Amino acid sequence: MSERSESDRLQREGWLQRMLRRPEIGSFIVMVLIITALAIASEGKAFNALGLKNNIAIISQLGIIAVGAALLMIAGEFDLSIGPMIAFAGMSIAVMMKWGLPFGLGEATPFLAFLITLAMTLAFGWIIGNIVVRSGLSSFIVTLAFWFFLRGLTEVCFRLINQNTNVSGLPDFKKESWFAEQMGGEVFGWLFDAWYWIGTKVSAGLEFTGDMTKSEKLDLINYLSFLNINRKMEQWVTGFDARLFWFILIAGVAWYVLARTQLGSWIYATGDNKESARANGVPVNRVKIGLFMFSAFCATIFATCQVFDTNSSDAAKGMFKELEAIAIAVVGGILMTGGFGSIVGVIFGAVTFGLVANAVFFIPWIDGAWFRVFVGTVLLAAVFANERIRKRITGGI
Amino acid sequence: MSKQAYMRVENIEKKFGPFIALGGVDLSVYPGEVHALLGDNGAGKSTLIKILSGVHQPSSGSIYIEGAKREFRNPRDAAAAGIGTVYQDLAINQLMSVTRNFFMGRELTSRFGSLRMDEMNQIAHDEMLKIGIDFSDPTQAVGTMSGGQRQTLAIARAIYFGAKVLILDEPTSALGQKQQMEVLKTIKRVRARGDIAIIFITHNEIHSRLIADRYTFLALGKVIGSGTKAELEGEDIRRLMAGGAEIKDLEQELSAI
Ligand SMILES: Nc1ncnc2c1ncn2[C@@H]1O[C@H](COP(=O)(O)OP(=O)(O)OP(=O)(O)O)[C@@H](O)[C@H]1O
Ligand SMILES: [Mg+2]
Repeated sequence: MSERSESDRLQREGWLQRMLRRPEIGSFIVMVLIITALAIASEGKAFNALGLKNNIAIISQLGIIAVGAALLMIAGEFDLSIGPMIAFAGMSIAVMMKWGLPFGLGEATPFLAFLITLAMTLAFGWIIGNIVVRSGLSSFIVTLAFWFFLRGLTEVCFRLINQNTNVSGLPDFKKESWFAEQMGGEVFGWLFDAWYWIGTKVSAGLEFTGDMTKSEKLDLINYLSFLNINRKMEQWVTGFDARLFWFILIAGVAWYVLARTQLGSWIYATGDNKESARANGVPVNRVKIGLFMFSAFCATIFATCQVFDTNSSDAAKGMFKELEAIAIAVVGGILMTGGFGSIVGVIFGAVTFGLVANAVFFIPWIDGAWFRVFVGTVLLAAVFANERIRKRITGGI
Repeated sequence: MSKQAYMRVENIEKKFGPFIALGGVDLSVYPGEVHALLGDNGAGKSTLIKILSGVHQPSSGSIYIEGAKREFRNPRDAAAAGIGTVYQDLAINQLMSVTRNFFMGRELTSRFGSLRMDEMNQIAHDEMLKIGIDFSDPTQAVGTMSGGQRQTLAIARAIYFGAKVLILDEPTSALGQKQQMEVLKTIKRVRARGDIAIIFITHNEIHSRLIADRYTFLALGKVIGSGTKAELEGEDIRRLMAGGAEIKDLEQELSAI
């Protein structure tokens, strides 16, 4: 009689099968579809130099807060205070840049204003986290309370200090402050330079190919300008928004922590089964509090980039951003119940959302409100897909 | 009595407000033995093992490890003293991989906090193989494992992290026949190592007869009988399991309905 062991029951899977079973596959497919559809509908404009810059700006912006929301959701909690936290941080920085440091401590530099603001937002995150873990209340309700609290506080502060609900027309700090340039300026300019260099070489090369008619050459150059390899016919673009750098950094660190570190294991364990995690010595409460603070950190980065990019801020900033961040996380394959998900999926989700949110600029005949119709539909589909994945893993199907 | 008890508890009392959950319980466990802890629902079995594993503090009474008095203020203290508890719910996270569960809270990390994943996979696989299951892919989620396999994972984990007393709270209760036998085999293999004392809580008389060396019966928070297999006679066990009521009385009561 041949011995059959448990391991024989697990079929070896091929590379493709493994890929298809990955939880990110749904968000990946949606992303590819959107990229394709947008490229066709905008006749390529969405992905020329300027289109890319604009799209990546909003993708990064959404991605930064979505990563914070996603980690927190993996640990089993929600943060509805992201949007108001953005408004609060933006207010705090802008007001300090205009009126100086609090308590008459003198002029504010962009970096100092950021640091003081970050200290406050992290403190808010810490308070929210502590209330949630100590009271055992649902984070949904606790952060909803902070949604109102922070929105109100932001407006009150604006009016008390600036007699207005916004600060606008700040000087452009990017010129003198390295920090402001890192937040609101541009990055990866060399990419566009390299791109331009390739473009000039290619078109120069074309001049010498004899076996093409003049009009064929022109067609080809036109075609290449669709990819904008030669930027002669397009607006001059010198770099991506600095947000892209922050998005890459935050997403990269979050990915590494989740996939490769002890803290990552603890985040998953906390969201999956809090009691069993605790019984095994995982400091569940500290993990949660830390992630509420991380979410506040992401909101602060979002706000800082915005303030130093536009040299202004107002009380309505960050409106709906908490909902968009959660929606992106869900579309990226994060389970509403926690314990499962990956940053790669969230990146796909952010790309999809950013492109769709921006689509109206590239497809003039489309009504911008379709964005929300799309979000609603995709969100629902994603929740069903995620639920299927959860059941598959926990043995339901 | 040639062997020395690894752990001995004396006169443990536990009150929840006015309610006396345990009213003075004694218990000794020996390496290489299975000690069955039996009793009706609400008798206080789970309360007792929660005290042994540091989850609850006793209202009074003492715990001795290898003769020395110890106090467990939290589960960490108990774990450090070699108490490994496998709870009824197993303390397992379904969505996480076998390896991540195996090392949950005690991950092997390199200097910068990153996980030594390959090493952890290897250890998880080897340790589970030692007590009976060959799980070829430890990166698989635990949700896909059978109940018996999960039990084995929880037991292997407790042993690997240095359990000298392995406490199993109703490990067979939620399982089908075949898987129950798997778990009993696993317990036997652990027993055969000779250096681990096992406390086995069950409602199943047959299971306790199959593997137990020693018995303690609880009813309403007190010990109503204890002894080695040889000391307790067959009929006795059944009577004690029913909380001390005579089977004949029960039969009469049942027929009167
Ligand atoms: N935290 C608590 N507060 C108050 N009473 C409790 C608490 N924990 C247990 N009890 C009570 O103590 C008694 C013993 O409970 P315990 O869980 O130890 O029983 P058990 O022997 O494990 O029962 P079962 O076989 O059903 O698992 C029960 O009456 C229970 O209601
Ligand atoms: Mg019990």
